[in-house]
Amino acid sequence: MNKEALFKEIFQTNSKKIYHLCYGYTGDEDTANDLMQETFMKVWQNLDKFRNQALISTWIYRIAVNTCLSHLRVEKRHPKDELTENLIETKAEEISDKNEQVASLYKCIAQLEENERIIITMVLDEVPYTEIAMISGISEGNLRVKIHRIKQKLTELYNRNERF
Amino acid sequence: MKDFEALKSIWHDQVALPKVSHEDVLKKVGRVKGGLARRLLLEMLGMTIATAVLLWVWIASPFRMWTTHLAMLIFLACCVYYIIAIIENYRRITYDKLLDKPEEYIQYLKKYKQDRFIFNTRKYRIYSLFFTAGFILYFIEIAFLASLWVTVTGIIFTFLWIGLCYFVLMRIYIRREESKLEDMIRNLERLQKQFEEI
Repeated sequence: MNKEALFKEIFQTNSKKIYHLCYGYTGDEDTANDLMQETFMKVWQNLDKFRNQALISTWIYRIAVNTCLSHLRVEKRHPKDELTENLIETKAEEISDKNEQVASLYKCIAQLEENERIIITMVLDEVPYTEIAMISGISEGNLRVKIHRIKQKLTELYNRNERF
Repeated sequence: MKDFEALKSIWHDQVALPKVSHEDVLKKVGRVKGGLARRLLLEMLGMTIATAVLLWVWIASPFRMWTTHLAMLIFLACCVYYIIAIIENYRRITYDKLLDKPEEYIQYLKKYKQDRFIFNTRKYRIYSLFFTAGFILYFIEIAFLASLWVTVTGIIFTFLWIGLCYFVLMRIYIRREESKLEDMIRNLERLQKQFEEI
């Protein structure tokens, strides 16, 4: 398989999940698209080194996580909840009930710490714990405890948010 | 009241899709690579033109004193040194092979910051000294050829410019670059800590 065909296949398999990760992290559609694009540019540039890796998705996630974290390097960002609230308010009329729930979920994710946002996005996308542990560099035992806490935190935030 | 499974189901119902296709990525790869190459080429071109002009002045002008020839040699050496430094620094800041190793990347940035500081202070001081020495040697012949006021005006403006670069502009530049790099490192370290063991 040539490089372009391989890249197309990798892109199609992983782009949605990577986009969700970037969206969950930034709470902004345009920035999420930019970060996803940057991630895949790096994937393309380093593809030759990872052609025979079994867990290419882990490697892509790792790049995406670092791209998201490094995003702070280039931009002084606004407090997350303000940003997302504005976004949700502007688009409130356009979104359906279902999308409203999704928007509300993103709003709650935005209130988590940066690392929690990344971990929970992967949990929601059903990435195996072993893989999340490898991506985040946390031991599996600690990760389980951490995930449990983040799940609780997110559920509380969502339910509190829904009441108002 | 919703539990986490309900949130998961909301998550999977989302229709948010990326607006970027793999073709867009490939197009951008080409653009960025081209952009980087263009920027590097421009900087290189600017310095190469300056070096060529200097060389042409040296060859075309009938300089009689050895001091002027030495000045020209110093200027050329400074230009070549500067070109090499641009290439080296640019290559280092655009290095992204440590992207999937954040800790090593932070160390890499710290080393880069330290080297940049040495480059902007100690090495720039030596660079300025050589340039100043070059101008002093150059103005010896000018003093014999031109009128006194032309020589004095030339000397005043040249050294005012060198002084302005060294004492004002360079300090602002160093402060800005330091704070930018410090910001990058601090943010990466803060985020890295969040991933450490509980």
